[in-house]
Amino acid sequence: MVRLLKKTPLNEVHRELGARMMDFAGWDLPVWYTSILEEHRTVRSGAGIFDVSDMGRVWITGRKAGGFLDRLFTRPPTRLEIGSAQLCLLCLEDGGILDDLLAYRVETDRFLIVWNAANIEQKLGWLKRWAGSDPDIVIQDESADTVMLAVQGPAISRLRGLKSLSHLPRFGVAQTRIDDVEVLAARTGYTGEDGFEIIGDATNAVRLWESFMKQRVKPCGLGARDSLRLEAGMLLYGQDMDMSTNPFEAGLGWLVELNDGDFIGKSALVEIKRQGVRRKLIGFQMTGQGIARTGYMIVKAGKEVGKVTSGGYSPTLDVSIGFGYVPVELATTGTDIEIMIRSKPVAAQVVSRQFYKRGARNDPKGIQVHTGA
Amino acid sequence: MTPKEYRYTQEHEWICTEFRNKGRVGLADYAQSQLGDIVFLDLPAPGTQVEHGKKMGEVESVKAVSDIFAPVSGRVLEINQTVVDEPGLVNKDPYGAGWLVRLELSKPAELDALMDSEKYDKFVAQLSEEESA
Repeated sequence: MVRLLKKTPLNEVHRELGARMMDFAGWDLPVWYTSILEEHRTVRSGAGIFDVSDMGRVWITGRKAGGFLDRLFTRPPTRLEIGSAQLCLLCLEDGGILDDLLAYRVETDRFLIVWNAANIEQKLGWLKRWAGSDPDIVIQDESADTVMLAVQGPAISRLRGLKSLSHLPRFGVAQTRIDDVEVLAARTGYTGEDGFEIIGDATNAVRLWESFMKQRVKPCGLGARDSLRLEAGMLLYGQDMDMSTNPFEAGLGWLVELNDGDFIGKSALVEIKRQGVRRKLIGFQMTGQGIARTGYMIVKAGKEVGKVTSGGYSPTLDVSIGFGYVPVELATTGTDIEIMIRSKPVAAQVVSRQFYKRGARNDPKGIQVHTGA
Repeated sequence: MTPKEYRYTQEHEWICTEFRNKGRVGLADYAQSQLGDIVFLDLPAPGTQVEHGKKMGEVESVKAVSDIFAPVSGRVLEINQTVVDEPGLVNKDPYGAGWLVRLELSKPAELDALMDSEKYDKFVAQLSEEESA
């Protein structure tokens, strides 16, 4: 039987623009419109727009909503001021990561969570299981009735509709109107650039999209979404972390608040932290020729020591970069490793995971790139 | 679009021969459009013997990696160093500046088994149809 892909409210628009489409976590989404490189560079130098409606948008409301989320997330959302957001992890009892997400506090008892497209049913089930039948905790998945756009790049604050939000700090969230459409806009993103993520009614999807297209904001697909986040050192759930990884080995310990109240997974995480991790997620850069791709083997002295969890070409640095888990003794910056590229070991080096930093000089960090065969 | 004087493989390589025993090889427009932005090429060194239908190199785009097959058997005379340094030329000018290697053919008769431009255009049209179906 053919599996039907889910379509965002902008599916027709993407097709009319001639986008190349692909199946991403069950969604029919554009990989690129004209070129991944062009789209990537536009976001680094101008402004690009992404349809990120595949992300799940769930409202948690009610008198006990905040306390409920404090018990589920690795950082308490009740510490948030109204109109701000934070990154959090949702962990299982054993400390394994169920998802990474953004928690927004829109009003005292109204929280919005935005999480990944994968395993939505499982995650919703997890929330509902812990909420039980408490009438003071209302869980409402509004993903299907809304559209979500990410407008990203250094030029975005000059755009009509976003100019009025220039005061909004990073991770700030506000209700506003764009082209007379009521939206929720947050200064967040997944590209390493300044940007907004905008949620509106699905019925207004085309109008919102067009208001940015009219200002010549470039439509960007999943290809650039992936290369931008990789350069910026951001992890992708399902690849760089999953239920079998804990936050400390993923380098996400900063998202875990162990000195506050109790939450699911806390006791396991306290113990993991006490014992120390055996492996760590590293960033690496190829020094030999070739492109490291997701799933390739990482080797040291002829022995497999890990796998590339995300890998690809960095348009900004013009080298191949990636992430992967290796034993802690190999996780130090500057360590030489090799990546098996179609049964040939090719030289690479462990580097800081943040390959690209906004406003910094971004070139391969003094590493000599071998040229020639 | 597809140059009339070239010959094509089902794997979307082309060959343009000079005097029937030498020829330039490249990737057809369909291949580059499917791969997207090409960022790396691994080509056989001059002197390498390549064999009809066998892998002779690799092409990597931002999104994917793909093998390059030899359209005919022969010896590599030279590689296009310009395209190695600037792989995006394959996207910009697949039938011209984006050529990959020049071969000396050891079995010129193999050319007869390749598609001419008319046949190849039909082949691609059919693929595109299947894709959109």
